[in-house]
Amino acid sequence: MIWQQFANGLAIGSVYALIALGLTMVYGVLRILHIAHAGVYALGAYVGLLVFRFIPNFWLALAITMVASSFAGIILQRYLYAPLLALPRIVPLIASIGLFIAMEEIFRLIAGPYILAFPADPGLGGIEWGIVRITNNQFLVFLVTVSLLATLWFVMSKTKLGLAMKATSQDLEIASVMGINTERIIATNFLIGSALAGAAGVLVGVYFNSVYPTMGSIPAYKALAIIVLGGLGSIPGTVLGGLLIGLGETLLLGLINIPFPRDALAFIIMIIILMFRPYGLLGKE
Amino acid sequence: MLSVEKVDVFYGEFQAVREISFQVQGGELVTIIGANGAGKSTILKGLMGLESCERGKITFQEQDITHMPTYQRARLGITLVPEGRRLFQDFTVEQNLVAGGYTRTDASAVERDLQRTYDLFPILKERGHQVAKTLSGGEQQMLAIGRALMASPRLILMDEISLGLMPKYVNEVFNTIESLHREGVTILLVEQNARKALAVADRGYVLETGRILIENEARGLASDPRVKKAYLGG
Repeated sequence: MIWQQFANGLAIGSVYALIALGLTMVYGVLRILHIAHAGVYALGAYVGLLVFRFIPNFWLALAITMVASSFAGIILQRYLYAPLLALPRIVPLIASIGLFIAMEEIFRLIAGPYILAFPADPGLGGIEWGIVRITNNQFLVFLVTVSLLATLWFVMSKTKLGLAMKATSQDLEIASVMGINTERIIATNFLIGSALAGAAGVLVGVYFNSVYPTMGSIPAYKALAIIVLGGLGSIPGTVLGGLLIGLGETLLLGLINIPFPRDALAFIIMIIILMFRPYGLLGKE
Repeated sequence: MLSVEKVDVFYGEFQAVREISFQVQGGELVTIIGANGAGKSTILKGLMGLESCERGKITFQEQDITHMPTYQRARLGITLVPEGRRLFQDFTVEQNLVAGGYTRTDASAVERDLQRTYDLFPILKERGHQVAKTLSGGEQQMLAIGRALMASPRLILMDEISLGLMPKYVNEVFNTIESLHREGVTILLVEQNARKALAVADRGYVLETGRILIENEARGLASDPRVKKAYLGG
């Protein structure tokens, strides 16, 4: 039973990490909270479903979604954030919240307020080890998130692009003095983060077999709790924070059968950890 | 090599320097001295493109760079050793140096320059895998200079590099500047420590409240009664 819950928690947690990564990457370079990122996540679910209805192939839907959501991210960066960056931080924050609400309404107007089914079968099959049964969809979530996170890790730690991205998040001005085109690096952060969020949207849509206009609402603030917990701007911290919250939610609520609001737990964990580590798990002072 | 004509640079909303004109020839070591707040750092930021230049013209190697973005100026061969060092704090010493050579494509030349930097500052080699923020102030300053050298720059702008260093390191840093100058590197040095700066420079400018007051050979400036009185302690 506990191992089964463990598998469930890891699956949810790795999706949380995928959503929150874009938020932390954008915070890392621009020091703004990109709330509309959760809108990109919901957009991803809708795009994936749309593609899937035309051509019922999960992998194709995932690939097209990632391309489409990375475009969406770059458009947001260029036309929403870039003109507002010179203003006080509260301005891009409010714009971002406003855009997020607008996106939810646009999804509702176009696709309707209903929950749409996303019955994709990636054709992986489930696995059973003794008492632990990893379902088809859980296996899918693991496979996709682990490959995406591994790719991100490779890019960040082994390539020149990764070096430039890390340098830019530490000191944008000095990175440009080193000859790094920081405008392009900022766009790259939006591109990668939004592609990951779009992928997460498709995974969640398939995992719960549901896509709906406000599906980004809870991830919007939960991702916030995760990046604060992990340490703002820290990529490993965000992955750790996502897994912790996913596991915490599932284990606590699956084992102790009390009527406890599941979605509040992220913040309770965040508050407890911040009491002991004010800069988050892997954050810097 | 570098020519600045009647340039105004703003620091935020505030006009920090007015109608500044000066030149730096290839291979020269030129210094700009002046009191705190005279606008010395703003000039360097304007040259690097970190502050915008509202009027006038900046030419580098016959090319107008007045409105060019910072990273393109870096790719033309201008670099900055910034005030307060501003290392990549979470990078190791070696990663900082590699970041300094970011724009270069010739891997073997970068490797050669890495060795050259380590020869120049043996302590950096010893600390190669240490994270930059764990270094002492003097070591950090050497790393900041080393990082700038890794770009194989044509012109190095140095901003207050003796500020906050122990006297032992101040001497070491100025010795390094002198030896770079002997190797033919072109340097524009901005300093509060006028005595040291004039001792190593070829020429100098005196900046007061955003304007250039005096221009002369470094030796001439060092013996100028006005400079002596205001900047060299009488």
